Amino acid sequence: MSKTSAAVLLGNSPGAYGRKKFEAEKTPAEKLADILLWGVRILLIAEIVLLFFPTLNPARICGKINKNMSLFTCGTSYDTLISNLGRALQRGWVDEAAFKLLSGASMLSIVAAVFYIVGGCMSLGSKKMKKISVLVTTGGTALMLGCLFGIKSAHGQLLLSERPDKVVPFEAVPHFTLFLVLTIILIVLCLAVFFLLPRFSDAGEMYMEDRFKLFLMMLPVIVLSFLFAYLPLLGWRYAFYDYKAGETLTADKFVGFKWFTELVSSAGTKKDILRVIKNTLAMSGLGIATSWLPMVFAMFLTEIKNNSFRRFVQTFTTIPNFISWVLVYAIALAIFSTDGFINTLLKSMGNPATTNYLMDSSHMWLKMLAWGTWKGLGWSAIIYIAAISGIDQSLFEAATVDGAGRFQKMWYVTIPSLIPTYMVLLLMSVANILTNGMDQYLVFSNAKNAQFIEVLDLYVYNRGIGSGLIPLSTVVGMLKSLISVILLFSANGISKAVRGESIV
Amino acid sequence: MSFADYKARRAEDKRFSKTTTHIKLSWQDVVFNVLNYLFFGLFTLTCIFPFYYIFINTISSPDLVVKGAITFLPKNLTIQNYVSMGNVNDLWNSFGVTILRTVLGTALMVFTSGLAGYLMTKQEMWHRKFWYRFLVITMYFNAGLIPAYLNLLMLNLTDTFWVYIIPGIVSPYNIILVKTYVESIPHEIEESAFMDGAGYWTIFSKIIWPLSKPILATITIFGAVGHWNSFQDSLIYNANTPELYTLQHRLYVYLNSSSNLGALMNGASAGDSAAVAGMLNTKVIQYTISMVTIIPILLVYPFMQRYFEKGIMLGAVKG
Repeated sequence: MSKTSAAVLLGNSPGAYGRKKFEAEKTPAEKLADILLWGVRILLIAEIVLLFFPTLNPARICGKINKNMSLFTCGTSYDTLISNLGRALQRGWVDEAAFKLLSGASMLSIVAAVFYIVGGCMSLGSKKMKKISVLVTTGGTALMLGCLFGIKSAHGQLLLSERPDKVVPFEAVPHFTLFLVLTIILIVLCLAVFFLLPRFSDAGEMYMEDRFKLFLMMLPVIVLSFLFAYLPLLGWRYAFYDYKAGETLTADKFVGFKWFTELVSSAGTKKDILRVIKNTLAMSGLGIATSWLPMVFAMFLTEIKNNSFRRFVQTFTTIPNFISWVLVYAIALAIFSTDGFINTLLKSMGNPATTNYLMDSSHMWLKMLAWGTWKGLGWSAIIYIAAISGIDQSLFEAATVDGAGRFQKMWYVTIPSLIPTYMVLLLMSVANILTNGMDQYLVFSNAKNAQFIEVLDLYVYNRGIGSGLIPLSTVVGMLKSLISVILLFSANGISKAVRGESIV
Repeated sequence: MSFADYKARRAEDKRFSKTTTHIKLSWQDVVFNVLNYLFFGLFTLTCIFPFYYIFINTISSPDLVVKGAITFLPKNLTIQNYVSMGNVNDLWNSFGVTILRTVLGTALMVFTSGLAGYLMTKQEMWHRKFWYRFLVITMYFNAGLIPAYLNLLMLNLTDTFWVYIIPGIVSPYNIILVKTYVESIPHEIEESAFMDGAGYWTIFSKIIWPLSKPILATITIFGAVGHWNSFQDSLIYNANTPELYTLQHRLYVYLNSSSNLGALMNGASAGDSAAVAGMLNTKVIQYTISMVTIIPILLVYPFMQRYFEKGIMLGAVKG
């Protein structure tokens, strides 16, 4: 009680309760153990990560096993493991027991990984916890060794089968030494830490410092963020290779900046890129040129004094923002296609001409702008409506007293109050000038209008996923991302310099 | 400006406008008002009419729809189209996938944002600043579509249901929103719980979570709408697995290719064929599927509107 409440009373930092346990001065042996523990943590993380690398999979003992399988998938899915071996197993060319053993051994590696995770987390605790953690980790290494030797004997068993050549077995278990060496170093480190730490009876209580508890609670989030936001950056390497979907990346496919120069040297690509950039800048430019619309919309909407009508307008004009672009396209079809509303109406008025307005490629940019405005106007106005109701009413009263009319009040009071909000949004849209999103343009594109509608995002999708030109589309995406980041920070810099406030 | 201020201001605004209505309107004001009401009325109409038009086409007799007889009013009311849709397995499959991803994906995202948002307010966390930046920076860069796809391919997540859920669990923007909100909760509440012996988890689940409900509700709504409308992930990552298509992707497929509709009408199975034979018209099928996709959003929208508006305000004031 005394220690903790004192810390609270001292109020060192907001949010910190000061719930700390103070350890006695560490002995040199304990200090060494702490350093070695970092080695243990790094190694066990490395082994866990290796489980997920298909290229470093020791369980891929024969060429017929899918090369995209990691050790982890070998352990979790037996069906995928033997998916290419059906014939060889049916004919009895190879012994199925070998693959069952292989799958079992792979499963052991997953159990080992669980031990590693528990051990790694516990290693952040007190002396006693550290001591237990290295025991748990050692247990994990034992399982890992079991896994490796299981794979080795499965490999031996496979070679003894009737016709092993049918499944293209490798001479030795791949990457066996790598895993073995890592595991042995891990064992040695664990044992060293175990003996460097004081005996269990002298190791004190089991507990963990708050800062590590909090970190461990946060860890899953950090891992997910790493996997889905940072790891994809690894994919930028494809920009430097001659790569086709489904292949394995090998060093001989390295082509340096070939795809970068392709953008400007190949006439066809260059033409495409220029066209796509023109479309992108046109769409973003039109968006920026009309970015004041929501502000005006809000200003005129607040001039409506009938509250229920205003509410009604606000409710229904924001709905389009919450439906997907696919649905917007469904609406476009319903209204503008050959048998849509407009043509039906024209027909009923005795006009037999039927035009499919969606196949018409004139004024494509303006049409896209119109759809974007229809979808987003009501929603974008909300922020300005809120800002307007935040303006000090006395300003309006003063203006009225001074004889200002409706438009003068708008011009001299409302607009100046809204400009800061507007500038932030404007700078953001300048920073996003290369990013239009692809949904809208994808759903509206057809053979007729494709050349006017293809923006950068859609181009990357069409080339990369559609035509399988992975390196080229990676290059385009990569340059786009880099330019966007530069634009964003420039916009932020401008905002800081001009308004003294940052926008990001 | 906080949301409470905004509300108070609106109430004040109302009082103010009431007192001003006594002033006699000049003819310019009348013209202005007429034009203003006219503009907003028409614009609102363009936002409502398409939904209405699709709807009346789905509840009218398909024969009349084909003839193009439906313009402003439904004729020969029928629910046959919706009944027929009930037998299209593809559609219900997508419906199920979409509902599941919306519920599961949103729940996990909200829980994670809540917990991470709370943890990120804890100064004593080991290297808190570093991890906070680690998360926040990801909002400003993007590896790009293809690297993201190759990454999910590498992680064996493509052509699985989980590709809809797992990459979306951590949302840095929502974590910041929750963090900002938790920081506004009086610190003493947490401290008193701590003095009573509560740990971080207890404080989070018993105090922070209930007190953060307004912000959690807002991110729930946005998350759920995002999941319901998602289309790109299904299109790119699950292109080869039709049974995992989301509703929007399914609709896109039906809107785009008449051959798909042909297959639907001829029926992959005899049951489907008999069921859809009654509507034998691509247009009606497209309308009905559109309606099935739109209705959930329209149904929840009126209840959720205030959260939507709160959401954009929060986005505007985030630091």
